Amino acid sequence: MTDDSFPVLEVTDLRKAYPGVIALDGVSLSVRPHEVIGLAGENGAGKSTLLKALVGLVRPDAGTIAVRGRQVRIKGVADAAGHGIGMVFQEQSLVPNITAAENIVLGFEGAGVRRGIYRWKTLRQLAQVQLDKIGSRVDPMARTETLTFAERQMVEIAKVLAIEERTSTEPVILLDEPTSVLEPEEVETLFAQIQRLREHASVIFVSHRLEEVMRISDRVYVLRGGRVAGEVDPATADIAHLHELMIGTADSGNHYHDDLHSGAVAERTPRLVISGLTGEGFKDVSVSVGAGEIVGVAGVTGSGREALCRALFGAGIVTSGTVTVDGHRIDLSSPRAAVAAGIGYVPSERKVEGMVAALSVGRNVMLARTDLITHGPLIDRRREASLVDFWIERLHIRTPSRSTSIGQLSGGNQQKVVVARWLVGDDVKVLLLDHPTRGLDVGAKSEVYRLMRTLAATGVATVLLADSLDESIAMSDRVVVMYDGRVVADIPAPPGAKPAPVDIVREMV
Amino acid sequence: MSQLSTTPAIPDLAPPADPAPRRRFRVQRSTLSGLAPLVAVLALGGALTVANPRFIDPRSLSALADSAAPLAMLAIGATVVVLCGGIDLSIGALASLSSVLLAMWIPTLGSAAIPAVVATAAAAGLLQGVLHVVFRIPSFVVTLGGMTIFSAIALVISDAGTVPVTDTSVTKWAFDRIGDYIPTSVILVLVVVTLVTVVLRVTPVGTWIAAIGYTEPAARLAGLPVYPVKVAAFTLSGTTAGLAAVLLVARTYAGNPTMADSLLLPAVAAIVVGGTAITGGHGGLWRTMAGAIIVTMLRVGLSVVGVPSAYESILYGVLVIGAVAMTIDRSKVGVIK
Repeated sequence: MTDDSFPVLEVTDLRKAYPGVIALDGVSLSVRPHEVIGLAGENGAGKSTLLKALVGLVRPDAGTIAVRGRQVRIKGVADAAGHGIGMVFQEQSLVPNITAAENIVLGFEGAGVRRGIYRWKTLRQLAQVQLDKIGSRVDPMARTETLTFAERQMVEIAKVLAIEERTSTEPVILLDEPTSVLEPEEVETLFAQIQRLREHASVIFVSHRLEEVMRISDRVYVLRGGRVAGEVDPATADIAHLHELMIGTADSGNHYHDDLHSGAVAERTPRLVISGLTGEGFKDVSVSVGAGEIVGVAGVTGSGREALCRALFGAGIVTSGTVTVDGHRIDLSSPRAAVAAGIGYVPSERKVEGMVAALSVGRNVMLARTDLITHGPLIDRRREASLVDFWIERLHIRTPSRSTSIGQLSGGNQQKVVVARWLVGDDVKVLLLDHPTRGLDVGAKSEVYRLMRTLAATGVATVLLADSLDESIAMSDRVVVMYDGRVVADIPAPPGAKPAPVDIVREMV
Repeated sequence: MSQLSTTPAIPDLAPPADPAPRRRFRVQRSTLSGLAPLVAVLALGGALTVANPRFIDPRSLSALADSAAPLAMLAIGATVVVLCGGIDLSIGALASLSSVLLAMWIPTLGSAAIPAVVATAAAAGLLQGVLHVVFRIPSFVVTLGGMTIFSAIALVISDAGTVPVTDTSVTKWAFDRIGDYIPTSVILVLVVVTLVTVVLRVTPVGTWIAAIGYTEPAARLAGLPVYPVKVAAFTLSGTTAGLAAVLLVARTYAGNPTMADSLLLPAVAAIVVGGTAITGGHGGLWRTMAGAIIVTMLRVGLSVVGVPSAYESILYGVLVIGAVAMTIDRSKVGVIK
């Protein structure tokens, strides 16, 4: 009924802003029938927000979504299904303790339920119809939790395909990072399924692995900073071109405060030495960070860099290997032990893990180091006041007073308070910065960079999990790349001889 | 190392251009809303006085204080647990059990029975705290189980009956008057409240508890001793349940396996009516004291001023909700649930 060149889904000038971040800055794209569209971009480029907007989990500030030429306002996942848009979520959304068949028809049991009672035979047939569409041999009566990851993904896809019967049109299926948890042979199976899927549907495929995007897609949209940076035809373009579009031209200027760089660090003594560390999410990691050195850890979601960072602070699970700071072995069993060893951690979830929003700036600054302001068990309030005021002044934290709730400060100032927590003792040896500039505007970012440089100059060993590759390269003396839980590259990035982003992305994907 | 003069290792970090500070900060309203529980006490007391002028009579106030004291004592430890973001539902049953133990131990231990009972109750609280943090069982569940177990033990060892105190001289001091009207029980409550408040104010523990109650992940990642603090809170809760039992036994000259069971919900009401957030973090002991007075005034005062008993419970419910609406500090409590 529709012309094959007429788009089934058309997004025009979609915009979405969160406080401090513009997630979508006028994205336009179109999907034609039976087309597989690839979506590529760095973390924070807007991919997830775009998909969420398409299934009604995010409400765009402006712009339109048209399905088969008709403009629609999508109110939620069920509403999206009504318009023929279904999403296979990154974190799998199946109920583990019921059968695959029940999951496939969940919420839309139809003839599978009569007078409130399950009719298992019909239910099974209804599910089998969906599974047959992708040629899956999964047993519909198997309990979902007994299936492999790949099988569950097939069930998810079958579930989404059930939309077809409800709308009597061919659906648009959104696949958000479907390959991130799959083994290579499972990826091949998935790709075969996508090829079958396109006979019934259009597909939007999101992956950090660019080779996969290029292989499976008819067209690839590259997002950067909430905009479409380019549209690529995989038949004529190569991955290097995709990289360039993803990263754009690197910022120049003194945004990163290179002038404060502490000079050559190659021959400095190692401060933080990680040897053969294995734990949940990472395997056999060996990295050393010298005094005054900033080491960026790059990697896609699931590369294990976040898990490693938390494990170094005693908040993860370590099964073997050692970590030493200045030659002393560190107990990785709890954050408390890490703090005692001179390790500071700035978590990525500032509002949940970094600060206690209802407490004052002063209490937040002193939270980890109350030992500095106590005589025996008693707090010396005068000492607390002078120490807190000193650091407010030193870090230029803009706050009416030390007794103001930290929740009332701007994001950048909140982050400075969280960093100040590890500086008050003047004895921090290692700083772990997990996305320290997330959600900050340009000016606040620059101040955090300045702070990092200054701390490095005092000999602090810094591990940086940057928000973007640009940031990682610009701030780091070395960039360590992780992939599937392992360190796969260790690339020097001295001032004046920075590696090209493309060289690092090549290792990441 | 902690001298300020040793810090110039970090050079001045002035940003190149320092924009004028933004005027986006609200006026601190905490001092105003902090007075709300006191205002509620005065308003309710005033209303009861208007309804029946004899309410303000010293003897009647003294009787009111008598019944408020065990409730307030019970709520002290439970408040600290709530501040940590947990809940202790076992306090009533534990106080009942303690009352039985006290009555049973006085004949053999004499005056030593009181410290023995309080220590036992503290140990019971400690055990619950350890179960909560080590096995990561919600405090609601651990103390719900504890409540049943303590009740059952109390019934078994007392043969489901009242155990009279043979030598009332041991507990007499706890149900006495200083001058004509000031109950010793109230003094004991004030001593414990002051002690705990001072510890929370002058040591870092107060901040630790607030941090744990508001945002436990952040407290953990700041390296705070989260588990020891929580265990200590449950131990304190057990201790004050034991002390509440002493006050109850002194008043009734007997231990009883269900004596304090009915005080659990009023104690929780006292905590929330005072304005302590049931979600943790925000609140304080003196707020709970105001809450205990309000709850007691409602329970005792309403019948004193002649509200028919059928309507008493309705009015009690309405006023508890109204009091919480008035005392809760919404600027500090992010999520109301």
